[in-house]
Amino acid sequence: MTTCEVAEKPRFAIKTPANLSPRIAWLRDYYFQGVERKWNNEYTAWTTGAPWDFQYNELSFYIVPETYAFLQTFRSSFKQSARRVELHPDFWKWSLPERRAWFNREVMVNYLPKEILPGDLIAGARFNVMTSSCLNKKETQERDKLVYGPKGARAAMLWFHNHGYGNAGATSGHLIPDYQRIIREGWKSVNAELETIYAGLSGAEKRGKKGGQLRAMITASTMARDLAAEYSKECLNLANAESDAVRKRELLQMADNLTRVPWEPAQTFWEAVQSLWLTHMLVMSDENYPGPGDSFGRLDQYLYPLWEKSIREGMDVEFGKEILKCFWIHCNTAYDGMIRTGGNQGITAGYGQLFTISGMGAGGRDMTNDLTYILLDVIDEMSPILEPKPNVRLHRGSPEKLLDRVVEMIASSQGSPFLLNFDERSMAGLMLEAKKSGAERLINENNVFDYAPVGCLENTMAGNDRSGTVDANLNLLKAVELTLTGGYDLIPFRDEITGKTDKRIRWGEDTGDPTQFKTWEEFWEAYAAQTRRIVRRIVELYEQSEAIRAKYFPTPYLSCLVKGCAQKGLDVNEGGAELNYVTIEAVTYATAVDSLLAVKHLVYDTKACSMAELIQALKDNWVGHEVLQARALHKTPKYGRDDDYADALARQVMELWTEETWKHKTKSTNRQFRPGMLSWNYWVADSFILPASPDGRPRGKFLSNALCPSNGADINGPTANVNSVGKALGGKAADGKGDWADYLNLLPNGGSHTMTFNPSILRDPEHREKFKAFIKGYIENGGSALQINLIDADMLRDAQKHPENYRHLLVRVTGYNAYFTSIGRELQNEIIARESHQMR
Amino acid sequence: MTSGKILHLQRLSTEDGPGIRTTVFFKGCPLRCDWCHNPESISSSLQTQWFSTRCLGCKTCVETCPNDCLSLTENGIVINRETCQTCGKCAEACPSGALETIGKTVTVNWLLSELLKDRAYYEKSGGGVTLSGGEPTFQPEFAETLLRELKENEISTALDTCGLCSRRTLDRLLPYADLILFDLKLFDPILHRKFTGAANEQILENLEYVRNYIHSQKRPIALWIRTPLIPAATATTDNLIAIGRHLADKLNGTVSRWELCAFNNLCRDQYARLGISWKYEQTPLMTAEDLARCEQAAKSCGIRPDIVLVTGAARALETT
Repeated sequence: MTTCEVAEKPRFAIKTPANLSPRIAWLRDYYFQGVERKWNNEYTAWTTGAPWDFQYNELSFYIVPETYAFLQTFRSSFKQSARRVELHPDFWKWSLPERRAWFNREVMVNYLPKEILPGDLIAGARFNVMTSSCLNKKETQERDKLVYGPKGARAAMLWFHNHGYGNAGATSGHLIPDYQRIIREGWKSVNAELETIYAGLSGAEKRGKKGGQLRAMITASTMARDLAAEYSKECLNLANAESDAVRKRELLQMADNLTRVPWEPAQTFWEAVQSLWLTHMLVMSDENYPGPGDSFGRLDQYLYPLWEKSIREGMDVEFGKEILKCFWIHCNTAYDGMIRTGGNQGITAGYGQLFTISGMGAGGRDMTNDLTYILLDVIDEMSPILEPKPNVRLHRGSPEKLLDRVVEMIASSQGSPFLLNFDERSMAGLMLEAKKSGAERLINENNVFDYAPVGCLENTMAGNDRSGTVDANLNLLKAVELTLTGGYDLIPFRDEITGKTDKRIRWGEDTGDPTQFKTWEEFWEAYAAQTRRIVRRIVELYEQSEAIRAKYFPTPYLSCLVKGCAQKGLDVNEGGAELNYVTIEAVTYATAVDSLLAVKHLVYDTKACSMAELIQALKDNWVGHEVLQARALHKTPKYGRDDDYADALARQVMELWTEETWKHKTKSTNRQFRPGMLSWNYWVADSFILPASPDGRPRGKFLSNALCPSNGADINGPTANVNSVGKALGGKAADGKGDWADYLNLLPNGGSHTMTFNPSILRDPEHREKFKAFIKGYIENGGSALQINLIDADMLRDAQKHPENYRHLLVRVTGYNAYFTSIGRELQNEIIARESHQMR
Repeated sequence: MTSGKILHLQRLSTEDGPGIRTTVFFKGCPLRCDWCHNPESISSSLQTQWFSTRCLGCKTCVETCPNDCLSLTENGIVINRETCQTCGKCAEACPSGALETIGKTVTVNWLLSELLKDRAYYEKSGGGVTLSGGEPTFQPEFAETLLRELKENEISTALDTCGLCSRRTLDRLLPYADLILFDLKLFDPILHRKFTGAANEQILENLEYVRNYIHSQKRPIALWIRTPLIPAATATTDNLIAIGRHLADKLNGTVSRWELCAFNNLCRDQYARLGISWKYEQTPLMTAEDLARCEQAAKSCGIRPDIVLVTGAARALETT
């Protein structure tokens, strides 16, 4: 009997932070104390005091099916803990956006405590709030009916998810607010512009909806100024009580900075970062959701002029880095939201405050600068840490020095400490988007290089673009299932709680009895019809929550930071942005492609089985059909092997679903649907919902992830895997005339591509050179974004056994970093099972 | 159309010459080295092998074989190698890939189109295609056509050879090679015959011939020497010093790298699947000290020490 276990020493060394000043080391260590901290940024809830009031906007969480069971609990608990805000006497006479703008401003400026952590150089601590919906009684009743009614958004969403189609909901964030304008011009310029536009309205317009929206935005545009003034006072108070002369000077400088920014243009690097942080954190407050893809865009570009100026004026480089590192810590406090309820002290996975460095500029010029390398140093020295998430943009003209540093950092971490984003392929996708949506005026060869990804890896333009990048997630495999049944679920859905089983209803298209199809072409046509049907279905589902959000959840503060909203007098949630898209992120791509390849190969080409036998095998979850299953797994062509035959079908599948996607817009907000591929963790969770598939996969075995080949299918090695991915996106134009140079890309959003390598691939300088060349080859042949895991499977198994030794081991899962020990066992096993590529 | 027998292609190969390469493993070899790490490459004929872990026991193969060579026993599928004609029908019919045909006959055209798929990686890395094996000179017509086609497509080429071939074959292949990876296993001709089944006179003569060829050409051709480190066979200090002296004597300035490739035992299962016993089955990996001794010996012979490179794994430290 073992009575006690002695913790073993870690067998494998993991990345540790380096070169941290005592100030930063303290702040970082303090942060990782989690629940043991005295200070935290836990949600606080705020109410109008009205009996019908509620705080929690569950629509934002519809994309996380695991949370459905808790939605009502969250709503009730925030309501119970909500503190009352003394309302303005005219509050209930105002339009909803005005109420919301005033209420949020009141909470942030006058109710939330203002605190500065010891040594911190950046002000702006608490921002996680659940504020009142600010709805009146009638609005609440209407909204609740639309959400909870028998045909309401929640029931529709649950049905959609339970039947294996995927999920959809109008989600917060996932955009790049116009931060660079605030740094350059200050909030006062936004405020002045709003006043001018408002003054230009007719009397009727002022009394109407537009007037209300603009007045709300004017109120919101003073929030950062007034909050900065409060923090400035706090800095002065602390300075007065401070005995250490150096710290006292810092606090006085912070107080002084805050009297200018973010209202005025920033004059120093310190002011720029302060301005950026306050402006950014208030976006998270405004949306009542911390940092879901609220991204910074090209940080090394728009901060550079002030970095350069401050260095010229004598700022010490290390002090400049300390300012950035304080900013890093602030970004991480987003996780405090549910610090006492989330796993690993609230620090679980990633929210995706993504920032971008390097990349191409006008005329194909490389834009790498001193600050690019400084930011890489900061990433390296702070790592491992979750936020903000770094992205390095690479292209054919990226300098060797940058590539060397990137490879070196990959070699010294468990995987890449950043996302790699590839300009040529990405820009080809955005140019296609411009063409497809008639947005050439806003996206063209003279500005497309200023794109940046948001959230995990989703490409958008900056400051004027909301692309709803995670709002609609569609399982392409569902169309294969519907084709095999002529429009029915293969296995009727059974509700585990009521025990009721669905009646046999044809949800899909009536494409006929597949056992009567004579040719593969007939099967393909039926599949195409089912695909068009499921795309229409997700468009219809999404419309419900989009319309509710547009009407009941204005975000006037965020709207100030998105070009188009002021001009149109529309909230960003009403489609106010200049560029308005909703991205359908296709999930289960490779599983669907491999399944189609298997049907073609087994039933039509080799006649290894009849269609009826195949369908029966799937109904039986392959039990009793092991020989056929083995054939499907091992003897059929698959995507991911650089096999032109299989990849041609992959491309056909891609064209089919993306073409249908471009045909749709939201009715309530006129946002254009666009295609992308990002499957977050759905490919794990939904594998238990979707039945067995023709590629040999039984129910419960994981589906394929985003753009990646199915696990273990890429038997021809990494270059073949990469080439297949590039081909699926469209490859290169035969005549050299692609949408950017010779590149084509059917996914303007881009697609998530993760590859796992064994660390031996980078063992010495010669091999690091080879790996660098592999990345250059990726620029030519691969996708829009790549995430690299560099992990020894033995290390992960050791981490499963001894999680205490690997608390800070970061792995990448579909675009977000997660602490390996904090994710579920199934996902852990999945990561271990991923093909680990070894250079030989 | 020219065709030949290969085992397989290794893409993103980083150990067979500079940069990122695709290595083509030719099937068939004139030597019979006791330690051979690729036993499946020795025979020029196709062979059949069975993987127990993949087998479903469905007997599809037993029913398919036209000559009744297969039986399902307590130990799994047994192949009667006396009667098996390697027609490949069983492997084709096997649903799970448990039965595999080793080797395949491919045309140069097919091979070329596969090799060109990684052109971007070759170009970015200074890599290319390596012909290895088995022994590429053992199929001269096939190797020559492939190399010529690769050069016509401006792909950098490497020829990895054991050196045992005719002058005429060298004359056919050298004009299309940018790098020669030349094996020198044992310097003593008697030991060479004992361990590899053939004497080394012709190999050493060919090495000089290659040197002279390189000197006669305007274009740069690189020459790397490779020596497998096999305990108690090639990894002796005497052997390494003898090879090193020869290199210093005859090839100084021409050889740009001498790779010492550490013994590994990853092929143990492969021998078992082929039904061949292997003398080195129980031999452990070399120790780090032993590898260091070999490196030291190699560097002491008068060649530039920085061209000596030890590759491969050493035995893990025993932990208690």
